[in-house]
Amino acid sequence: MAQVISIDPVTRIEGHLRIDVEVSNGVVTDAWSSGTMFRGYEMLIQGKHPWDAQQVMERICGVCPLVHGTAASYNLDSAMGVKLPNNARLIRNLALGANYIQSHILHFYHLVALDYVDVTAVLKYSGTDPALKLLQANIAVLAKNNDLYPFLPRYASPDYIGEPGGPGDANLATELVGHYVQAFEMRKKAQEMLTIFYGRMPSFVGTIPGGVTTPPTLTNIAAFRSRLHDLQAWIADVYVADVKAVATMPAYSAFIKAGDSGGNFMAYGGFDQNQAGTDKYFPSGIIENYNLTPSAFNNQQITESVKYSWYNDSTEGLKPAVGKTEPQVTKSGAYSFLKAPRYNGKPMEVGPLARQLIKKDPVFMALATAIGVLTPPVKFGIIPRIGARAVEALLVSLEMDKWLDQLTLGIGSDIWDPKGKQIPNSSNGMGLVEGPRGALGHWITISGGKTGNYQAVVPTTWNGSPRDKSGVRGPIENSLIGIPVPDVNNPINVVRCVRSFDPCIACAVHIIHPENNSVKEFRVV
Amino acid sequence: MTGKMVTRRQFLKHAGATAALLGLSEAMIPQLAKALEQLSTSGKPPIIWIQGQNCTGCSVSFLNSNYPGVAEVVLDKLSVRYHPNVMGGTGQTAVQAINDTVAAAKAGKGIYVLVVEGPIPLSENGDYCTFGLNDTKKKNLDGTSVQVPADKTVHEWMQELVPGAAAVIANGNCASFGGIPAANAGVTGATKVSDIVAQIDPKKPMVNVGGCPSHPDWFLGTALQALIALKVLPGGKPLDLNSNLMSKTFFGQLIHENCERRAAFDAGLFLEDWNDQNPDMKLCMFKQGCKGPVTYADCPTRRWNSAVNWCVGANAPCHGCASPQFYKDLSPLYQPLPNVNFAGISPSTDVLGWVAAGATAVGIGAHYLYKQLGSKPEEAEGGEK
Repeated sequence: MAQVISIDPVTRIEGHLRIDVEVSNGVVTDAWSSGTMFRGYEMLIQGKHPWDAQQVMERICGVCPLVHGTAASYNLDSAMGVKLPNNARLIRNLALGANYIQSHILHFYHLVALDYVDVTAVLKYSGTDPALKLLQANIAVLAKNNDLYPFLPRYASPDYIGEPGGPGDANLATELVGHYVQAFEMRKKAQEMLTIFYGRMPSFVGTIPGGVTTPPTLTNIAAFRSRLHDLQAWIADVYVADVKAVATMPAYSAFIKAGDSGGNFMAYGGFDQNQAGTDKYFPSGIIENYNLTPSAFNNQQITESVKYSWYNDSTEGLKPAVGKTEPQVTKSGAYSFLKAPRYNGKPMEVGPLARQLIKKDPVFMALATAIGVLTPPVKFGIIPRIGARAVEALLVSLEMDKWLDQLTLGIGSDIWDPKGKQIPNSSNGMGLVEGPRGALGHWITISGGKTGNYQAVVPTTWNGSPRDKSGVRGPIENSLIGIPVPDVNNPINVVRCVRSFDPCIACAVHIIHPENNSVKEFRVV
Repeated sequence: MTGKMVTRRQFLKHAGATAALLGLSEAMIPQLAKALEQLSTSGKPPIIWIQGQNCTGCSVSFLNSNYPGVAEVVLDKLSVRYHPNVMGGTGQTAVQAINDTVAAAKAGKGIYVLVVEGPIPLSENGDYCTFGLNDTKKKNLDGTSVQVPADKTVHEWMQELVPGAAAVIANGNCASFGGIPAANAGVTGATKVSDIVAQIDPKKPMVNVGGCPSHPDWFLGTALQALIALKVLPGGKPLDLNSNLMSKTFFGQLIHENCERRAAFDAGLFLEDWNDQNPDMKLCMFKQGCKGPVTYADCPTRRWNSAVNWCVGANAPCHGCASPQFYKDLSPLYQPLPNVNFAGISPSTDVLGWVAAGATAVGIGAHYLYKQLGSKPEEAEGGEK
């Protein structure tokens, strides 16, 4: 008999997420994704000075304030008709790049690695590395005190078998746990690099409408570059190598194809390579139904469905520029405070995998080919999604050296267009960027010199969306179909799949009332 | 290489450095040394860290802790029983970690400190923020009756977790004062943690850590001070709090008093154009809306992200994110604080620096500014040294 298993909280993501899956004969046959928290950021800046939008909207998420603050800046630039100086363009690229590095390192080591290696295997470490032996001794003390929090309790995977090179290989697991500890320092270093230009993280202050606040100097370029080079080396030698080790473990070979979201991908395009913004490091594009020749992206094709979301039905199908956020927690049939954005009526996966496929980066395509991703039937599962993130961290970090080289110093090297201070009485703006988690858009309407309407459509709204008005599932929901759940009391494969999208829920809410089809029994796991 | 792991024997040596970096006074060093030693030899004090209407910024800021680093904190200092972003467990195994800790405390086997990030929404029975599931309840769907797991509101969690907690720490401005979500309180009923705690148990030890986000030193330092005050760690020195329940160690001085650009303010040299790189002096951010004159925090001396920089250091105004008035009452963020009456003079901001310097009365000026913002005078005084 079909059972629905309910997983809440889904941890090691940002925010409040509940996942319900229907399991029949050991595999997932249906899924519901519910954001369970709402604050109403878009509502609270209405009527305020437009400059406040950048500072308030970046606080929509403490994990990705950089990308929200950046999208808000481009949005305000566009509303005020700013011509962004070259140095400002480069510094915004550098800051966003630094944020990719910290976000991707954090995601692999601190959010997902614990799903793929057995942390308790450290107790059986037999190698000779003094630092790892010290780590083992530390963890042994915790184990003796019966205090292995926050690592235990957990759902242990039946994959944690001790064969060499496998998830339970004690020496390999210990190295990975050692890198988990190092990764705290590395992502912190990426945050420090960012604050050289932006003041502090999270909640930075370095972008304003019209440009940036800190001019490049010989000193701050050197401080930035020394950290960047440390990070490039660590990403290449440790991060990419660790992802490769996990991705090629025979125990996880099924995850190369399992976890496919449905073959639709979208990128808005990101990292301007020229002042006009016509050339971007990540091109924009749309992939539909696995056709890997992308078509052109047109922002007018974006609409938001709210049929299954806790918002007033009168806001159904609106374009973001005129979108509304009217919560209605008592709405029957709804189960999430995430809206369901669609492109040309279709759900779209966004993020590193979408970007790499649309860019067709040769490094990524070669790796994907090597592990069989492109062998028919073509499917883009959990492993390529995690792998795309590691490849992207390395490639963006290398591109950042070029942006540093292009900075100009001294008189005439502007960082700000004073037009950013001239607030029009009425205007519209749009800011589209590629954040670590994918395509992000902010839209503003200025009226009477104040913020009128403000809407944000965030990457996790695309990926984690509920069903739309046609009943079509969102990408995360769809990717769960077919995920093996041999034991309904252990949902680890379900959360492995959900976490591969790096969900960040801070922009939503919830309450669930799954449709009552043939489902008769719920199990809370 | 595993980062900044240290052996137990090194703790005493490190205690002095840690105290200095956390901004604790010299007098606290022996206590802190004892406390750190105890943390490593006996059990680590358990914390349960839950999230209300948060953005996870204070958790990310905690990950930026420079010294002690976060790996050291988690492995050697605190027993982090529940933290949704770092814990191994998920779903019921995550909830079990909370339940086991609460049950142990109830049975007299150890304590726990409750850390709350984000405010608690009360509208619509608290449905604007939930995590975990209550026991299954009967609900009617499409006319049939089935067992459906009901979402558990963060307000229900507070009612369950506050009574057994040794103390409650509201981490960050949103938890402490409502912050940004409270600017929209009309919709969600976002309520600061201390109000919820007062309803449940008015005598519960309660401390606020301001900041949007909180600085990792502010959080860790306050937590350590609280554990010492509770005698969980040796010493028993009571917490020295201002009237906003914030530690005076971190929130005792005006940003303006210690600002590295104070000389520019006194000289009336204000930044007007971000392309203007004054060769002689870094310009004052007052005219771009700096809230440093009304914000009590040690940012100018502590700085952020391993002391690499801070907001004013990046040619940006302080937005007053550690102030109880943030965000709503400090908006517009990029407009100068309202004009101030100094002894009958109503100067424009152009001469404010001159007046303030001439009167050598920045403290008084700050009080005037506070009044202009409509806050209670005792709040301003409570924030002072």
